[in-house]
Amino acid sequence: MASTPGSRPSTTTIIGWLIAAVILGGLAILVVLNAQSIWTSFFPPEAKSVEGQEIRDLYDIVFIIAVAIFVVVEGLIIWTVIRYRRKPGDVDLPPQTHGNNLAETIWTVVPTLIVIFLFVISWQTLNSVEAVSAKPDLKVRAIAGQFQWSFDYLPADAKADTKPIFTVTAPIGPEGGLVLPAGQTTHLYLQSPDVIHAFYVPQFLFKRDVVPGIVNEFDLEIPADVAGQTFRGQCAELCGVGHRIMVFEVRTLAPAEFQTWLDGKIAEASATPPPTPSGGPVGPPVNVTAQGVKFLEAALTAPATGFTLHFDNKDASVPHDVDILDASGKKVFDMKDFPGPEVRDIPVPPLPAGSYTFLCSIHPAQMTGTLTVQ
Amino acid sequence: MATTTLTPAASSYRSGLYEWVTTTDHKKIGILYLVNSFIFFFVGGLLALGVRTELATPGLQVLTDEHVYNQLFTMHGTVMIFLFIIPILAGFGNYVVPLQIGAPDMAFPRINALSFWMLPLGGILLLMGFLTGGAAAAGWTSYAPLSSDRVGAAVNAGAGPGQDLWIMALVLIGTSSILGAVNFLVTIFKMRAPGMTLFRMPILVWTVLVTSVLVLMATPVITSALIMLFIDRNYGGHFFDPATGGNAILWQNVFWFYSHPAVYVMVLPAMGMISEILPVFSRKPLFGYKAFVFATAGIGALGFSVWAHHMFTTGAVYLPFFSLMTFFIAVPTGVKMFNWIFTLFRGQLTFSTPLLFALGFLTMFLIGGINGAFSAAVPVDFALHDTYWVVAHLHYVLFGGSVFGVMAGLYYWFPKMTGRMLNEGLGKVQFVLMFIGFNLTFFPMHQLGLAGMPRRIADYAANAGWNDLNLAATVGGFLIAASMLPLLWNVFISLRAGKVAGDDPWEGNTLEWATSSPPPPYNFDRLPEIRSERPLFDLRHGRTVNH
Amino acid sequence: MASSQSVLTTGDPGHAVEEHTPLAGLAHDSRGGISNPILGMLLFICSEIMFFSGLFAAYFSVRASTTPWPPVTQDELLNEHFHLEPLFAFILTVILVTSSVTCQMAVWAIRRDDRTGFIRNIAVTLVLGIIFLIGQLYDYSMLGFGISDTPFGTTFYTLTGFHGAHVFGGAVMLSVVLYRGLAGQFSARHHDAVEATSLYWHFVDVVWIALFSTLYIL
Ligand code: HEA
Ligand code: HEA
Ligand code: CUA
Ligand SMILES: [Cu+2]
Repeated sequence: MASTPGSRPSTTTIIGWLIAAVILGGLAILVVLNAQSIWTSFFPPEAKSVEGQEIRDLYDIVFIIAVAIFVVVEGLIIWTVIRYRRKPGDVDLPPQTHGNNLAETIWTVVPTLIVIFLFVISWQTLNSVEAVSAKPDLKVRAIAGQFQWSFDYLPADAKADTKPIFTVTAPIGPEGGLVLPAGQTTHLYLQSPDVIHAFYVPQFLFKRDVVPGIVNEFDLEIPADVAGQTFRGQCAELCGVGHRIMVFEVRTLAPAEFQTWLDGKIAEASATPPPTPSGGPVGPPVNVTAQGVKFLEAALTAPATGFTLHFDNKDASVPHDVDILDASGKKVFDMKDFPGPEVRDIPVPPLPAGSYTFLCSIHPAQMTGTLTVQ
Repeated sequence: MATTTLTPAASSYRSGLYEWVTTTDHKKIGILYLVNSFIFFFVGGLLALGVRTELATPGLQVLTDEHVYNQLFTMHGTVMIFLFIIPILAGFGNYVVPLQIGAPDMAFPRINALSFWMLPLGGILLLMGFLTGGAAAAGWTSYAPLSSDRVGAAVNAGAGPGQDLWIMALVLIGTSSILGAVNFLVTIFKMRAPGMTLFRMPILVWTVLVTSVLVLMATPVITSALIMLFIDRNYGGHFFDPATGGNAILWQNVFWFYSHPAVYVMVLPAMGMISEILPVFSRKPLFGYKAFVFATAGIGALGFSVWAHHMFTTGAVYLPFFSLMTFFIAVPTGVKMFNWIFTLFRGQLTFSTPLLFALGFLTMFLIGGINGAFSAAVPVDFALHDTYWVVAHLHYVLFGGSVFGVMAGLYYWFPKMTGRMLNEGLGKVQFVLMFIGFNLTFFPMHQLGLAGMPRRIADYAANAGWNDLNLAATVGGFLIAASMLPLLWNVFISLRAGKVAGDDPWEGNTLEWATSSPPPPYNFDRLPEIRSERPLFDLRHGRTVNH
Repeated sequence: MASSQSVLTTGDPGHAVEEHTPLAGLAHDSRGGISNPILGMLLFICSEIMFFSGLFAAYFSVRASTTPWPPVTQDELLNEHFHLEPLFAFILTVILVTSSVTCQMAVWAIRRDDRTGFIRNIAVTLVLGIIFLIGQLYDYSMLGFGISDTPFGTTFYTLTGFHGAHVFGGAVMLSVVLYRGLAGQFSARHHDAVEATSLYWHFVDVVWIALFSTLYIL
């Protein structure tokens, strides 16, 4: 039978409520102590692009309305539940109300108006975020392939598939990343050779999928006061084993510095490429195999007189390389990456005896091992 | 009199294994559905605990191979959705719908048995992936071309046959759903007792009706998509491969054309159960019965026009239309929310466990609905898509909504199914633990998402500022797991020595309480007359009370 | 607490008599109108329509992203084969449409209780269905491209293949109906299985007409 009204709660119930009270109390104390940081944690990070700022303004409105609805409705539930619990004297039935057309109309019409309002303001923001400038200051093509980003800098009159002036292949680090001029508008094309990825920079409050077979494009305007900063970007669409490591950096430079950087890169690109070391192997071969975004060898030994890296990349369409770092973490040998399946013999110049780390600069977290030079 | 003099059917439930395997009785099949779904709930839960353990702190501490992590969440999502929540709601429907409309059984009892037995088969097929070199690993959404390309198998969806097994399992489970939907529809249209007009049907029956229409129209579409995926993977097809003229976005369109209506398949019956429970424990009729029916139908209809809200960032869909439709779907859901609240309003609430879980549903589903509406504002979704915000949303609706609803239903109908009450004390302990654990797990995910943590990653940088929130979520996950122990213990002791329920322990309103607990094989000896949606209430209080 | 006693005694028996239908009356569909198996089949056909809609949607989407259509490849011979010859398929269409007519004649016959007419027409329908299947296999063997040859081949074989599988399923159902008909199980009053099978067969026919129009003509 149903528990009779007014019956005393069982011991387990009391214990249950006690535990709940302790936990809720603890939570409340934590909340009070960290009120400020808790409040900010309900908002996206401060926006570092003009589009991001517009999205942030929209978010703030949506958030306020959502909190208002939440407080009203949740409050109504809690108040009703507390107010109308069954009391010992409640034997007769409460009034059997079946409905009320006026009430139904109100709670159909009011939410409808609210959502129409929300739709209109988000549509406006959408239009200005999606708008593309007829003459952007810069055009860049971001290429997302398993599992690495690279950035093609394009001529001013470029289309989606124009040949780049130069390419930044390292997605992170002082030599790499997506470098953007502050106070200017950049037009981005997104391109994928394999599966779907997504371009996502939390500080821009923005992401766009990189879909094979489709070129997505959008404008990104960095405010003038956001120069000299670095932001983390990350692939946001599951793209395979290496999805997590598909990170990149966005670096913003003041227009003058950006120009210097750009000129430097252009000059570098037009200079004749360094002659690839020719001739046969210069030393005994050392075998390294990459498979499934892993090195099959965890430890290598090599003579101090130099050797030939016999590198077998078995991962179809996944680029890997083998770089060697000394004990201090300095790069002493830098190899150019190439996608598998392919085998290459690469001569490595003599290294002083000692212990080194070798790693794939594209998948450093998963592909690393030790190299002992004797 | 007649009902009570029937042989207490409890004994027939202790009959042998053979009886259970060959049964075509909708009540036994319903119970089989529930048991089977709970087993898979534990499987899916264990996989989730694996996910949470790995994410507890930065660094790869449990797993070395990220492929395994991808398998964990893929199989977690797949198992929870296709083998737990959809089937368990179908199970409640199976048990309760024929009783509530005064029918002796489902329209096609043997097809009903067939629908059920396809489920464990599909489940085993799915899980075999783990034993054969790697389960599916492309997410429960299995976006092509990641899932369709075998060439890059080593880095894509996995080298083993897991993805193919996933496809086959889903085709099997989908077929089971379709057959079940046909069965429900014919049962509801054709087998109602005299006097049970459409607008006297309990709301649960209405929600099952609308759910069945959704399944009937949407599930075949994903079956076609799965077949295309299979052809691409195994026969060199070109549906999804853009390099050879296919279309990479096609999969998403077809998948979400099914999977958005499917999220209402995952919640409407739970809403129906809540709508049965709230009136009983507040001693009032459901407020706005007809509004409920129209809102349910409205959600069903709108549900077919919003699928691309999962694809806002693809750059390949017309954004304003899908944004507007997605916003609109908040309106009928809001109508339901307010009607529930006004059902409680000025009632006399008894806080039995079913009501507690039902209130858990109201308070938590509200959060899940509202944080879903954030994503309807397209530019906001540009920021939130594929972050932990979405993970928070989906668990607030699926766990805070559907699972709380399932628990409410379990405590409510367990007496009818077994003849014995579940222990109230243990029930309340479970509720408190689960409620706290749930919020501790999934609330911080809002903040993680806003801070930019993408979903589906096995690890994160220690300096990203995500450590505390992730740890909290992991602790909460284990608290949820712990909350399942009182439930298991409760079921165990109550089956043996629980309080005897009698025919109608809750003063119910609907026909299932007019027969014995558990009901005899063909449910009813005689039926009370049906003059409203609360035939038993009328019987108890006479038809004089204001109708 | 309301026990079952109150359930059955507090109600006003005088009022409720005509509503108290005994169990036996409930065991079958009691609500008149369309019978359960036929309603079930109609609903199942709805789901089948959605299944083919999915495949057709894929076809049009892939077709839209592949220009020209049929595609042009390096292989001259293949390009030739991509231009399908509708004549043979048209003959198949005529066969299938005819089988739909004979199927309906079988239904009319059994409604009149004309069992020989029924069996004759079902048999003809089955034979026509099998001829269609054989014809389709023959057509496949003459086509110079396979399922992995461009999106054209993929969509062509998927659509026609799944239609063929449905024809096969329909033929199995027809065989069962024929067998039961020969065993004398059907009469003017009792022939739901015949009605349901014929609905399915008509559906398969309509799908083929849609396929023929899109693949061979459009
Ligand atoms: C039970 C399942 C369920 C339910 C019911 C819902 C309900 C809703 N969902 Fe959710 N959704 C999922 C399951 C579900 N969802 C899942 C599993 C995913 C992730 C899939 C994946 O990628 O893995 C997802 C993802 C998802 C997205 C994609 C996010 C992204 O990937 O970027 C969006 C975007 O719009 C969305 C929106 C909504 C909306 C608007 C509702 C609405 O129906 C909610 C309506 C309810 C309310 C709003 C509350 C009550 C209303 C009121 C009190 C009235 C007043 C309110 C207002 C005026 C706002 N959902
Ligand atoms: C009904 C649906 C449902 C349910 C109930 C849950 C339940 C849970 N989910 Fe679920 N989840 C999804 C549906 C669901 N999830 C979906 C669709 C996805 C998306 C997948 C994708 O991206 O493809 C997802 C993704 C997802 C992620 C994101 C993974 C990622 O993106 O990397 C996480 C992370 O924390 C998570 C956690 C949990 C946890 C901790 C629970 C807990 O509630 C689980 C509770 C635990 C149990 C029920 C265990 C049983 C108890 C015992 C065994 C007792 C004994 C053990 C101990 C006491 C230790 N889920
Ligand atoms: Cu690339 Cu995820
Ligand atoms: Cu959706």
